[in-house]
Amino acid sequence: MSAPNCLRGLVRPSATIPISAPRTAAPRVAPIALVRSAPFSTTAINARRQDPNQQGGGGKGHVRQGKKLKLGKFKKNAVESKGKPPLPGERKAYRKRITLSNDNAIPVPWLKDLDADDLASAKNIARVLALPEEVQDQLRASEAFKPTQCWGMFRKPSLLVRKESVDLMNRMQASVDRKQTLRLVVTGDKVTGKSMMLLQAMAHAFLNNWIVIHVPEGQELTTACTEYAPIPNTEPVQYMQPVYVLKLLQAIKRANEKILAKTYTVSGHPELPQNITPNTPLLALCNAAKEPDSAWPVFQALWNELTAQGANRPPILLSLDGLAHVMRVSDYRSPAFELIHSHDLALVRLFTDALGGAVHFSAGGAVLAATSRNNAPRSPSMELSLAQREAEQTAGKEAAEVPQKDPFFRGYDDRVEAVLRSVQVLRLGGVSKLEARALMEYWAASGMLRATVDEKTVTEKWTLAGSGVLGEMERAALLTMRI
Amino acid sequence: MASPANLLRLCLRTSRRLSNLRAAAVQQPTLRRQLSTTQWRPAPSQDEAANQEAQDEFDRVFRNPGEFLKTLVRDDSITEEERQLAMRMLDDWKRVPPDMQRQFDRLTEEVDQESARLRRPVQPKRDSFWNSEEADPDLITSEIGEDDFEEDDMMALGHAKLEEHREFREYARIAVWEMPLLSKLAKPFQPPAEDEVLRFRYTTYMGEFHPADRKVVVEFCPKDLPLTEAQQLKLKKLAGPRYNPEKDIIKMSCERFEHQAQNKRYLGDLVDKMIATAKDPTDMFEDIPLDLRHHKFKPQIKFPKEWYLTEQRKKELEAQRQQALLLDEQKRTEGTLVDGVQTIQQALLTMKAVEETVPVLRRRSPRGRR
Repeated sequence: MSAPNCLRGLVRPSATIPISAPRTAAPRVAPIALVRSAPFSTTAINARRQDPNQQGGGGKGHVRQGKKLKLGKFKKNAVESKGKPPLPGERKAYRKRITLSNDNAIPVPWLKDLDADDLASAKNIARVLALPEEVQDQLRASEAFKPTQCWGMFRKPSLLVRKESVDLMNRMQASVDRKQTLRLVVTGDKVTGKSMMLLQAMAHAFLNNWIVIHVPEGQELTTACTEYAPIPNTEPVQYMQPVYVLKLLQAIKRANEKILAKTYTVSGHPELPQNITPNTPLLALCNAAKEPDSAWPVFQALWNELTAQGANRPPILLSLDGLAHVMRVSDYRSPAFELIHSHDLALVRLFTDALGGAVHFSAGGAVLAATSRNNAPRSPSMELSLAQREAEQTAGKEAAEVPQKDPFFRGYDDRVEAVLRSVQVLRLGGVSKLEARALMEYWAASGMLRATVDEKTVTEKWTLAGSGVLGEMERAALLTMRI
Repeated sequence: MASPANLLRLCLRTSRRLSNLRAAAVQQPTLRRQLSTTQWRPAPSQDEAANQEAQDEFDRVFRNPGEFLKTLVRDDSITEEERQLAMRMLDDWKRVPPDMQRQFDRLTEEVDQESARLRRPVQPKRDSFWNSEEADPDLITSEIGEDDFEEDDMMALGHAKLEEHREFREYARIAVWEMPLLSKLAKPFQPPAEDEVLRFRYTTYMGEFHPADRKVVVEFCPKDLPLTEAQQLKLKKLAGPRYNPEKDIIKMSCERFEHQAQNKRYLGDLVDKMIATAKDPTDMFEDIPLDLRHHKFKPQIKFPKEWYLTEQRKKELEAQRQQALLLDEQKRTEGTLVDGVQTIQQALLTMKAVEETVPVLRRRSPRGRR
């Protein structure tokens, strides 16, 4: 059986005629001689068909015969245009926009605007008070509002006065009375209102004609997202962040315009591009920075003026949100490609020096920092120092209760500990039921909470929110779609 | 069945002497192992004659005492006294009637034939799979022929079950009648005295050999030792990860040596050495903090006392609720209770009707349909 089969297999390629056909009928040699074929092939040879359209056999490309595989049979040829795509940065601007009022919200009849000493008086605890227009503008200029906060749901931006806020404002006021600087870190769990506490402090400062310098996000300074350059003649080398500082200067200028116009320089600044003579308003000094190149010298001159001893200066509030970011090694690299410690960045150092107590304001003031829990790198030194300060505050400096360093852990940072050695700590937790009720009444009166605000509802939301954590209460009552 | 013969064979198996032929081939000095499952072989004899004689003795089969005595008498190596004794015994044998002698011969032959099968050396089968055809000695019956019913008795499995039952009952009897007597031997618990600081733990496997039965563990608390605070701290630092800060106990073990006693002695010596080092004032390790990285402290979470619903707490809660209800009621009468839904409805009522811009329909040819 196998022998004939094998034979047939060998013969097949040239089989234009079956093998069984008489050999005499097959002009076998001719096609093979004509067609340029592969030296060895298992395919049978077909004679080329003459195309009647193509005269002279001129080849115009290969035409494949038989069935064709149609790819994308159901795809339409033209994609309908979906309109203009957003411009670069437009999406981010939309994401980060801050809306401070909602015309559809019902105005709350009993809502009163904040006065200069409202935030510091204990009778206002558990009351909701609105921010005056002017302060709104100032806060907006210094980027105190955040896109995650629910300002856009109500007619007017308003604040709940908490026990802790009154406490903080009183401390600030006391330190100004004694012409000292309050150095304090606001810390607490997630969404307990740490940034809001900073905002309240700033509102209080604006209302009392302080000068406010606010760094809205610590991470913008240390995550290597803004330009930096070494400052000449510094040992060890410090780095300035000209673009960011220019932005900060403009924010300071816009937020504190009135006070800066009434405050005058005590010394001349001939080194600046615009010669500043003594008795120039600080506003003019701020205006001297038109370009990033001159931003850092101008800022330094402004800072020197603000901290000048013996001069007539208003109280100063220096605040920063996201403390953990400035309490670590930054993402910037030195020319030797070594990571730069955050405290070697000049602006951060300025803040940390003030927080550490190295700066004295002539009229007193406050240096506030808030930690963040959502976007924060771990900073063991900071955590430990804050825990220690807190324990010292509560236990009256009893060494036994104060948490100690783990002797076998390497990640501690001495510079961070030096900064946080003598700060005060304000820990935020949940609000009391009274405060929660006031806030929920404000929500309901604005038409944002469709429920009767009685003790039952308040207790329910308060409990759901982990005994009154404000952000959780918002989530439980305000941001649900249950209507 | 056939178990007695099998047993006998198995017992004899290790003591059987293999022929010297192979032993002669493997002539290399080997170290004796202490425990071995390999069969014992005689060492090759030194002189060739003795070797030959042993071989003869092994090969020769005596059919009756007479033959044996005859060879013994001819042997040169025995003493004269023994030869006299053998001669006398041979005379006695010759006096035995020939009928009885022949009977003796036949008996020997029969036993020889019967036991030939047992004496045959067992060759392990080359192609067997894990000796699967070997009978399993752990079963309650021997598997061979147990299903053959000969109509005179229970099956083997039944007997085996009965045997098992008997065994259970035997132990039950012991448990009931004899074990209580053990309580006579019980000693009252004596708490360790002040000088008995070390607590040893041993392991026994009830006489069976086990690789872990040599292990000895010692535990002690540094506070029980006559040491100062600083010395105790140094002792803890010396103990390293063997120190448990939660229980304040140092725990060490040893299984380095072959016997329990050796291990225990080693541990005792080690503790002595540690105490001596801890007392040594030359370097008190003050610069090294106590390392507790090996230990993970488990937080002891307990139900808070304040959360227990006592009668008093229940009353308090009731009072709070009453007060809350009163507050609500008061607000309701005053009209200051805020209701979200009502607020919205009122706002909608009072709101001026804003003229909405009505989109004017322009006449355009409808798109997309042609």
